[in-house]
Amino acid sequence: MDTTSYVAITRQSGLLNEMQTIANNIANAATTGYRSEGLVFSEYVQQGGEGSSSVSMATARAHITSDVQGGLSKTGGDFDLAIEGDGFFMVETPNGPRLTRAGGFAPDAFGELVTALGNRVLDAGGTPIFVPPDAANVTIARDGTISSDTRLIGQVGVFTVVDPNLLAREDGVLFRFDEEPLPADSPTVLQGFLEQANVNPVFEIARMIEVQRSYEAGQKLLDREDERIRNVVRTLGQLL
Amino acid sequence: MNALKIAATGMDAQQMRVEVIANNLANMNTTGYNARRAEFADLHYQTLQQAGTISASDGTVLPTGVQLGLGVRPAAVTMDVSQGSLKQTGGDLDLAIEGRGYIEVSLPSGASGYTRDGGLKLNGDGQVVTKDGYPLVPDITIPEGASRVAVNADGELYAYFSDQVEAQFLGQITLANFTNEKGLEAIGGNMFIETAASGQALVGAAGTEGRGHLRQGYLEASSVDAVREITELIEAQRGYELNAKVITAADQMLGATTQVR
Repeated sequence: MDTTSYVAITRQSGLLNEMQTIANNIANAATTGYRSEGLVFSEYVQQGGEGSSSVSMATARAHITSDVQGGLSKTGGDFDLAIEGDGFFMVETPNGPRLTRAGGFAPDAFGELVTALGNRVLDAGGTPIFVPPDAANVTIARDGTISSDTRLIGQVGVFTVVDPNLLAREDGVLFRFDEEPLPADSPTVLQGFLEQANVNPVFEIARMIEVQRSYEAGQKLLDREDERIRNVVRTLGQLL
Repeated sequence: MNALKIAATGMDAQQMRVEVIANNLANMNTTGYNARRAEFADLHYQTLQQAGTISASDGTVLPTGVQLGLGVRPAAVTMDVSQGSLKQTGGDLDLAIEGRGYIEVSLPSGASGYTRDGGLKLNGDGQVVTKDGYPLVPDITIPEGASRVAVNADGELYAYFSDQVEAQFLGQITLANFTNEKGLEAIGGNMFIETAASGQALVGAAGTEGRGHLRQGYLEASSVDAVREITELIEAQRGYELNAKVITAADQMLGATTQVR
């Protein structure tokens, strides 16, 4: 078999991966702080010999994370925080510090501020935040400063990274970083709001249709190629 | 094909969201009910190409790699602990808590239960009990012949008698506070019990150490916001349909695959 089928197959498997990405975006459309992902394909060129044409195959080489602001939904919770604009919260997981945009926090049994999955939220200095059990009327300022009516409690850290595309995804709406993130200059933290997933359903459905039709076109190509080879075999067989 | 399974996790999640919304709406008129909210988190990622690997074709280092998600899972159903509005009833033993805190009662098992439903009653022995008949902790009994009872903001309960000028002090209604209210376990009947996640009950007089005040003659209405629930319901329904569309599309792609000889 020559390369035609192989080229079509790389495209098909790439489309299956892209379909998976779209399915994941749509499945996470209700996940707080989720950022939609996309794949970037690039050619994989094989140089032919002199006089012959080159062959290029498509392969998924990178993924991109959309950093469009997600919608803000009002919850009214004291420790429900959303970041407007760039930035991430830093949380401590068993595997080390991670970044997240999901700001549905609450104090745990020990009074430490944790995420819905129990990871501790860190302040700008990288230490957990302790909320005294008798704190009433908690207000969180736009720079992340937490205070109750009697005293200052702490400050939720907001960090920025140079290139959000370099972050690796982990389950639990977390991002792993290689380069140490920097404290954000002037973050905007909103109390009583949660950031919804920044998945755009119209875009995802349009892309899904495109992927599906491209896939079918690819199958057609494979079909025709199969037919062509049959014809060749039949014709050559008749010559004998 | 993963897209099918991923869309199934998405449909599951939206289904759960609808269930939580249904329960909130069903409890729109439940005294002291706190709205719940389903929270979701993404599942593991499949790493197809590690970031930082060296591309074989031209020797450059890949900056981002390729990761494919595998769907969504429920992370938590959290309780919205905001204050519900107060509605006036005029009842002597209708107590609303303004601020944080729970009324502690003694469950039949002997354990303590905690509730924000302050619609208290008297039982045959004159004990102050909840709707379900659970006595308060500490127990307060109102003597026969009391014409009227008064509860002040700090939870002190007084009884007036027709033949006495001075009110008689009967006891103090205490409030229990928790480090993590969202960690309490709901057992039905507006009742919660303490868990390892909530931390120990911090019991004390109303109005002290962050605990709220009591207000006689009022009940705390359910904190469910119907408009919010309905918009969430619309979102959940459309989300469900979107996921179903993905399943259809993935199925058609599989169909195309099987048609190739």
